[in-house]
Amino acid sequence: MNNEAPLTRALDLCGHCGCAPVTGGFLVGDILSRNNVKVFGRGRQPMMFAHGFGCDQNMWRFITPAFADDYRIVLFDYVGSGKSDIASYDARRYGSLEGYARDVLDICRALHLEDVIFVGHSVSSMIGVLAANREPSLFANLILVGPSPRYINDSPYVGGFERRDIEELLDTMDKNYIGWANYLAPAIMKNPDRPELSAELSDSFCSTDPVIARRFAEATFYADNRADLARLEIPALVLQCADDIIAPTTVGEYVHRELRGSQLHYLEATGHCPHMSHPEETIAAIKDYLSQASLPLDSSSERANRKTERRRE
Amino acid sequence: MLGALERAPCGFLTFDGGGIVLSANATLLEMLGVAREVVVGRRFETLLTVSSRIFYQTHLLPMLKLQPTVEELFLTLRCGENGDVAVLANVARHEDGDRGIYDCVFMRLRERRKWEDEIVRAKRVAEEANRANSALLSMMSHDVRTPIGSISGYCDLLLMGIRGPLREEQRGDVERMKKASEFVLGLIDDILSFTRLRAGEVARFDMKTIDVESVLAQTETLMGMRFEQAGVGYERRECTPELKVVADPDRLQQILLNLLTNAVKFTPRGGKLTVSCATEGEWTRINVADTGRGIPPDHIEQIFEPFVQVPASAIAGGGTQKGFGLGLAISRSLARKMNGDLTVSSTLGEGSTFTVSLRAPDSQAPSA
Repeated sequence: MNNEAPLTRALDLCGHCGCAPVTGGFLVGDILSRNNVKVFGRGRQPMMFAHGFGCDQNMWRFITPAFADDYRIVLFDYVGSGKSDIASYDARRYGSLEGYARDVLDICRALHLEDVIFVGHSVSSMIGVLAANREPSLFANLILVGPSPRYINDSPYVGGFERRDIEELLDTMDKNYIGWANYLAPAIMKNPDRPELSAELSDSFCSTDPVIARRFAEATFYADNRADLARLEIPALVLQCADDIIAPTTVGEYVHRELRGSQLHYLEATGHCPHMSHPEETIAAIKDYLSQASLPLDSSSERANRKTERRRE
Repeated sequence: MLGALERAPCGFLTFDGGGIVLSANATLLEMLGVAREVVVGRRFETLLTVSSRIFYQTHLLPMLKLQPTVEELFLTLRCGENGDVAVLANVARHEDGDRGIYDCVFMRLRERRKWEDEIVRAKRVAEEANRANSALLSMMSHDVRTPIGSISGYCDLLLMGIRGPLREEQRGDVERMKKASEFVLGLIDDILSFTRLRAGEVARFDMKTIDVESVLAQTETLMGMRFEQAGVGYERRECTPELKVVADPDRLQQILLNLLTNAVKFTPRGGKLTVSCATEGEWTRINVADTGRGIPPDHIEQIFEPFVQVPASAIAGGGTQKGFGLGLAISRSLARKMNGDLTVSSTLGEGSTFTVSLRAPDSQAPSA
């Protein structure tokens, strides 16, 4: 009997080149430092605030003090934003919003969070939906500030933008980072003994790496998460601003229609960042919603029962 | 009410905390080609193109809430008969009673815009070329590696005598074929590792607490034959089993193999390699020292650059160049991705010491 054939066939195959796609695991073990996670507050139930595209956890500084007495506040930066560990950036993982949703779940697991009230601004609304669809048992409520499941028009759906608008945005970002670098370089060259200058100016753009910022913009504005809305089992509040060019009212209403059992709250605040421009109104809307939802809950079994009832509705 | 600002050589505009334009100077109105009443009373963002509006909402506005000034922003205005007007904007916030007022200065971009367009275009082309280059290298390496792996495997079959006994000369020929194919495989592995690291694709690091001694022992097993063949001595000192680091054991072994292979390559017959370990605060250092020719001071940092080797002409007594010069670039990148570093010190004519620095387990506590 000839036993050589399998052996020689094996030799003709690619057995050790490592060409299999990278899956699972993560580069750096410490998730908390990777995402620059901050935890504070005197309450038990976690309230996790997720920043939007263009900035970092500092966005929430006008909101979190109002909840710190009653909740355990969790803040973080997505990899590539703020003071996250930029060395942990993986182009493949963060090429879509799913990668950012995995960051959210990683943090929840690292801190052993349960019954999480997730507050997401802008793109983080959809990241929260994706995370909650993957691990619904971790979440109690989602609060979506200016959500949009798709930014580009797709008739009859109106997201508000054409593809060329997004291409122009990427162009504008490139030019701003180039202009910023031109401005920054002489400042550093003239002050070699003041490295903090670099840090200050980097902070001012929140996302420290222009290539990562561009990829985050592409992952955000080219995403289509409409189909993910119907899968959400977690009760949600949609906060909708007036005159929001990025997430127009029609989009907020679409999200509300697609999310079963969700509530829609129209804010008087204009623009896209009510948590920064109108923090009092934003805080009041969130508190009102949470008090209606009778949170914090007494037990996870009670929450499970309520979820079931909502699904029946 | 704008006084001297009315005819300043740059556009000027103020808006309130709700974004409503309070005033605009004549220069800005001429720049845009609109009457004052068209601008005053409107929301500022409606004076911008769609892309600039997004940038305003996602970047400029949050920044202005967190800091008093933002400078040198590229924006495009669009509201009058002059069409799109590219500007550089400086914006400053000041408090007027209990409300914030934003002062904006706009410098029109004409010539500069053309050059910036050109820079952005060139940057995109370079990024695309880089991506294509990496993809090509990766694909080529993969496609070349498979048949070379087969050649190496068939050499093994012949050496095992499966095809019948080999004459002494034949055995020598096959061994040389085997050695050559392994050399090419090593080069290809370097290219694959390097292109993946550069593309940010190596994401699977199994970081855990490991003892240095066991990784060194495995590495020595793999290197033993090479030390003998090269006629160099090897000694390990001061690496106790208690010495631990937080690292991916396979990546650490890859680094140590690279360093020892390099050391063997650049140490003359009769020379000696020494591996030692030390603890300094939160760091554990693994030193790989050789008695080779050393590295000229002006090449010491270059050696960590990809595709760079010390030229033979720069080394006393000459030297041999083998490989692509990727090993040290890969090793440093791997060390840094494990929160550590790879450094070197060297004395020309006496030898070099490469130091892998990794964090000890106690220094890895969470920050929150």
